[in-house]
Amino acid sequence: MEALSDEMIMQKVAEGNLDLLKVLFDRHHKHVYNFLFKMSGDRMLSEDLTQDVFYKLIKYRSSYHMGSFKSWLFTIARNSLKTHFTRHHKTFEDIGILAYQSAEEVNDMTENNAHLQNALNRLSPEDRELIFLNRYQEIRYEDLAEIMGSTPGAIKTKVCRILKKLKEIYLETI
Amino acid sequence: MENEHVLDLIPEYLDGSLDNETMKNIQRHLEKCPQCQQEVKEMEALLKAFKNDVVPVPSERLKSRFEEALEAEKAAMGKVVPLSSKTKKYDWASSVLKIAASIALLVASFQMGSVFQQKKIDQELAELKDENLNMKQTAMLSLMENQSASKRIQGVAYIDEFENPDEAIIQALANRLLNDENDNVRLTAFEALSKYTSSETVKHVLIQALEKEKNPSIQVAIIQTLVQIQEKKAAEPMKKLLENEDTQPFIKEQIKAVLPSLT
Repeated sequence: MEALSDEMIMQKVAEGNLDLLKVLFDRHHKHVYNFLFKMSGDRMLSEDLTQDVFYKLIKYRSSYHMGSFKSWLFTIARNSLKTHFTRHHKTFEDIGILAYQSAEEVNDMTENNAHLQNALNRLSPEDRELIFLNRYQEIRYEDLAEIMGSTPGAIKTKVCRILKKLKEIYLETI
Repeated sequence: MENEHVLDLIPEYLDGSLDNETMKNIQRHLEKCPQCQQEVKEMEALLKAFKNDVVPVPSERLKSRFEEALEAEKAAMGKVVPLSSKTKKYDWASSVLKIAASIALLVASFQMGSVFQQKKIDQELAELKDENLNMKQTAMLSLMENQSASKRIQGVAYIDEFENPDEAIIQALANRLLNDENDNVRLTAFEALSKYTSSETVKHVLIQALEKEKNPSIQVAIIQTLVQIQEKKAAEPMKKLLENEDTQPFIKEQIKAVLPSLT
């Protein structure tokens, strides 16, 4: 089972083998949670939304038609987050403030961690999201392009540019 | 490439996600280019910070809630039912019961079916018989109206087919007995009617026939029948026959012999 790709497993889930969703959950739920936590800075909300993402996976399993599983998963995660903030009358910009506040609040944060967090908070929300996905979730440029509705080349260039910018900010504050 | 800066490739170079040739080219360039070396150092520090970043872990609650939801969905779907060995045993026993039940159902429905079938057949048979009788009656009545005497006799003879002839048949026979010009037809009609002497209509017809009948052999037969059923009303026409000059002498003798038993 370990050898099977996400896509093959998801295909079997779509065909009715629901138990295999456990494998996908074990493989990815931490990434989804981590991404949502980085974006929102709220542990409870991130857990609820992660839960929501996998509910949707169960519910819309039959609408999966091959394609990159990770792209699909993170597209659902991004939409869940967007829906949540739209419903609570918050603009995308507010996420920045949220993340910043949480960075201040977390006590067990190391020095290094806080520096990185501060640097990240100075990026635009869109750039920050791209970096989260690229750095923490091990998402390939091809999948990233699919999630963002762009081409792998454009995404690669964009990530490189943001990393350079982030590096400048990071080194400034250290 | 050796003389170009590789700044744009540094993140991927550090990730190790480039192909071997490109990696080698970058390494060769880095050996000669301090600017790019600096860039690599700085980027390495940033990426290291990412790697060292504490990754929050979701609580166990998340997993248990997911599994609950999955079980609920499976139950709702009702397709994938895991079979443990225990339930297998149970299933074996219940499947025997199921087979027994289905056999019982099969037998019962077969029986029911044959009962209904029998009923239906009986009903159909009755209908057919009825239809057949109707046809015979029609045939009989029309034959009796035929111009040929032999056909009329054949029609009258059909009376044997009816257990309980209705009024229309009796009336038709009476018409033959009273009005047919052929002696044989009248005689056959009389023979047919003589079986139903319990009917008032038949008795009345026989008395009428006695008054009208001219054929001696039929007269004798009618007289015998009327005496047999002890019909008192027949006495009057018999007395008339005695007084009638046309009446054959042996008929008169016959009447004289039986009249005392009627009066």
